[in-house]
Amino acid sequence: SVREILAELTGRKGGCAKGKGGSMHMYAKNFYGGNGIVGAQVPLGAGIALACKYNGKDEVCLTLYGDGAANQGQIFEAYNMAALWKLPCIFICENNRYGMGTSVERAAASTDYYKRGDFIPGLRVDGMDILCVREATRFAAAYCRSGKGPILMELQTYRYHGHSMSDPGVSYRTREEIQEVRSKSDPIMLLKDRMVNSNLASVEELKEIDVEVRKEIEDAAQFATADPEPPLEELGYHIYSSDPPFEVRGANQWIKFKSVS
Amino acid sequence: MNLFQSVTSALDNSLAKDPTAVIFGEDVAFGGVFRCTVGLRDKYGKDRVFNTPLCEQGIVGFGIGIAVTGATAIAEIQFADYIFPAFDQIVNEAAKYRYRSGDLFNCGSLTIRSPWGCVGHGALYHSQSPEAFFAHCPGIKVVIPRSPFQAKGLLLSCIEDKNPCIFFEPKILYRAAAEEVPIEPYNIPLSQAEVIQEGSDVTLVAWGTQVHVIREVASMAKEKLGVSCEVIDLRTIIPWDVDTICKSVIKTGRLLISHEAPLTGGFASEISSTVQEECFLNLEAPISRVCGYDTPFPHIFEPFYIPDKWKCYDALRKMINY
Repeated sequence: SVREILAELTGRKGGCAKGKGGSMHMYAKNFYGGNGIVGAQVPLGAGIALACKYNGKDEVCLTLYGDGAANQGQIFEAYNMAALWKLPCIFICENNRYGMGTSVERAAASTDYYKRGDFIPGLRVDGMDILCVREATRFAAAYCRSGKGPILMELQTYRYHGHSMSDPGVSYRTREEIQEVRSKSDPIMLLKDRMVNSNLASVEELKEIDVEVRKEIEDAAQFATADPEPPLEELGYHIYSSDPPFEVRGANQWIKFKSVS
Repeated sequence: MNLFQSVTSALDNSLAKDPTAVIFGEDVAFGGVFRCTVGLRDKYGKDRVFNTPLCEQGIVGFGIGIAVTGATAIAEIQFADYIFPAFDQIVNEAAKYRYRSGDLFNCGSLTIRSPWGCVGHGALYHSQSPEAFFAHCPGIKVVIPRSPFQAKGLLLSCIEDKNPCIFFEPKILYRAAAEEVPIEPYNIPLSQAEVIQEGSDVTLVAWGTQVHVIREVASMAKEKLGVSCEVIDLRTIIPWDVDTICKSVIKTGRLLISHEAPLTGGFASEISSTVQEECFLNLEAPISRVCGYDTPFPHIFEPFYIPDKWKCYDALRKMINY
């Protein structure tokens, strides 16, 4: 939920990883989280897909990574395993055209990310069109569920802000480019226009949703700043799974923390 | 110059003096995430300063390839936390090349630079200090500077050293303070620790950012306890200067080692073990290690995790009263 995400960013105990993970480490039921090393999650996804297949509950695994991470070796290892063992894994490359500061042309010998799976069929999808993404995912999920093995999807999208707090976002591209995408291809704007033009919703109804969403975010932001930080005792928790709790050595021989999990 | 500027200066000197030198890594072309390579691409051309795709294992392997042919490879790993995909290349390939080929081949002209250490908001994957993992590997050198002047001299020595070197740059110090740094190249010898402050009662050893912490602890000890501390910056983690540390401990009889990395298996354990072997009868108190906790580097708990001056001071006091 929005509250949990914002609280995790500010390191509060209401956050989705109890405040211990921070921005790269959001977790939830069936959402196995973000990783420090981008690309490390792809073999993980293949593993989860194996579990899905094994459990026979008709589940699939969606494994997402970016255009920057697409150049990591372990992704190709995962492609090979998934194809070999016909794992129900949907590999999704979110191509926002920049790996932090490096544009795709300067980082990749082939920017056809949907073809990088080689022996895995790939789809190129317009990531800015919500309905397009929905249909493509529907197709991909059906494909995987039919037992044909993995499939790759490249979502072509864009990033407005910088990659992180230390990246201004404008030293490697022009403001005009960002403005152009924002005004012509913004997904929310495109959907709004489509709905209004086909009389599926009125401008007022959409404004109401806007107001509601803004309020929800405001509340979440309030929560994120007001919620207390996790207590200091939790510093040592959840390192190992151990019963009974063991002691964690601290900064010097007189500081010890209890580790519970 | 401040620390990142002194690194730029060192790289500038290297590229000027050595026509085979190349710099590569993630985002180095525009200047790097910490501005360490600003201006170098414009000055030396895009075939000498270039970006790599996001693949640490590939970066180091590629660097080893360049170095084996005799050219000088200066690779940047964007954060020390990301060095682990390259761990195999460093430990199994780079470190052992000369040994396993009977000195027929070597990748000595490889230097890997990487921002290191806690920075206040880095959380789990932008704050690690992995020097202990590499200390366990014969064949490479690991160097960590404490200041702009030290950084330039040590980096130039690493680049010129005929062994693969890892140069960790404390990221919190990049902009921390400025010092007078000569524009011309100069070298600071590797594997030599520096006694920054002489003393007679306790020896304090650290490297990188932590040197500044123990320096403050030394003045606190002088002021509040009348204790005179000898402060040593280890500078090169491996091969480390055993003689300087032992000579100091023989004089003072007490040793405190401090680092941000976790306590168990941290480099302080190697120093502690060797010193007690060499100077057993000179020790007045057990050797004290003030280090990070045995947990992954925390997100919100960082101020409690790091071995700050109070924890060091406390350990020092207990050692004095032993």
